[in-house]
Amino acid sequence: MASTKTCFVTVGATASFHDLVKGVLSPSFLKALQSHSYTDLIVQYGVDGKQTFDLAVKAAGSSGIQISGFELEKAGLGKYMRLAKGSGKEAQEGVVISHAGSGSILDALRQQIPIIVVPNATLLDNHQVELAEALAEQEYVVHGRLENLAKALEDAERLRERQKEWPPANSGVHRQAKAVGLRGILDEEMGFLD
Amino acid sequence: MAFLILTLLTTLLALLTTAAIYRFNVILTPTRNKPLRHGRRNPNEPTHLLVVLGSGGHTAEMLAMLKRSVTAPNAAEKLNWKDYSHRTYVINEGDDISKERVVEFEELAVGTAEDLMAGKVKKATDIGPGKYEIVTVPRAREIHQSLYTSPMSSIACLQACRDILMKHTTDTRDGHAGEAGKVDFPDLILCNGPATATVLVFASVLLRFFDVRGCSTRGKMRTIYVESWARVKSLSLSGKLLCRVVDRFLVQWPQLAKEAVGRVEYRGVLV
Repeated sequence: MASTKTCFVTVGATASFHDLVKGVLSPSFLKALQSHSYTDLIVQYGVDGKQTFDLAVKAAGSSGIQISGFELEKAGLGKYMRLAKGSGKEAQEGVVISHAGSGSILDALRQQIPIIVVPNATLLDNHQVELAEALAEQEYVVHGRLENLAKALEDAERLRERQKEWPPANSGVHRQAKAVGLRGILDEEMGFLD
Repeated sequence: MAFLILTLLTTLLALLTTAAIYRFNVILTPTRNKPLRHGRRNPNEPTHLLVVLGSGGHTAEMLAMLKRSVTAPNAAEKLNWKDYSHRTYVINEGDDISKERVVEFEELAVGTAEDLMAGKVKKATDIGPGKYEIVTVPRAREIHQSLYTSPMSSIACLQACRDILMKHTTDTRDGHAGEAGKVDFPDLILCNGPATATVLVFASVLLRFFDVRGCSTRGKMRTIYVESWARVKSLSLSGKLLCRVVDRFLVQWPQLAKEAVGRVEYRGVLV
């Protein structure tokens, strides 16, 4: 049996993101998925996204991709991330497409899965775009644009080879310090002398 | 006659204002006194960490940051969770997801904590995993709520925050310490930006202003604010309000450290 390759899409737990749901179910994107041998598409469509999802799935008709979706997952998205990560022979490593929320991004980076980050421009000040750009510049993520998700998919394939580690080793700042990172700060504020 | 009274009142007001400004200056300097500690995990000196969580990303970032610290492979970076014998988590009313995440995190963190060992034998004074509690406050501001109506909802939140901060207190002895073995005001308040955190920090400042139950004398409630990892080019509103108020203000992008004012520090990415 051919190995599976999963693309997991998440719009986050707090706000809706209809444009992304529509974008990943558009015929052009589904075709792009097929060309990169994806077999499954799982969409977490979020609060009041069900209608958008159902309509788009119907419009998409039949593609070679197994499509499924859900609204929210209280227990966290770990298991879907693991599906996207794949487990070797039967399941190839896929991709995560996420809104540019820090929690979702951190989850995917930790698991070392290529991630396409799409800012949700309807949120306050379009604040998500800053993080997406900064991380794409440092080549941790692919900054996906709604108008051309197929291209983002291609970029993600290339990113797969150069996947960077997370968290980054502390960049020389206070390397000689006895205590670094958050622990260093907490220790200093507590006044622990040892 | 009336003029005299008016003059006196104005002078009084001016004096009070000056005194208040002076007191705030004293309270809000990061170099204010820290308590004298006799070793870590000392059963006579319980430590109290208060963590503020908010909706979605705030909770995710805070717990990711703490998780990274307690599981760090590098010994200099690893946070020993037993250093904090009492933990209080503040969440918004109705935020069940955050509650679950806290329970998950605590299970993990307690599992990573190391015992005090003399050789391979556990020391008799080793304290256990300590206790934690999850408390709720009414929201200071709903998502999409107008900033003009926020002050009203913040008052209810402020009172709830004051109650939480006053939940555990002791008396002062030796001029700088609390009673032995009793949990006291939080030693540290750790937050990363939800409106609730801003209100809580202001509540703690008010308590310290009046030195309620000796919290200022004992050097309690040091505040640490970590700006969200999502803020790359500019501070959030909470950040702008708190950057001159908290004891430590951390950002996670170097470009932000150059832009912003106040006591902004960049110590690398923390999440």
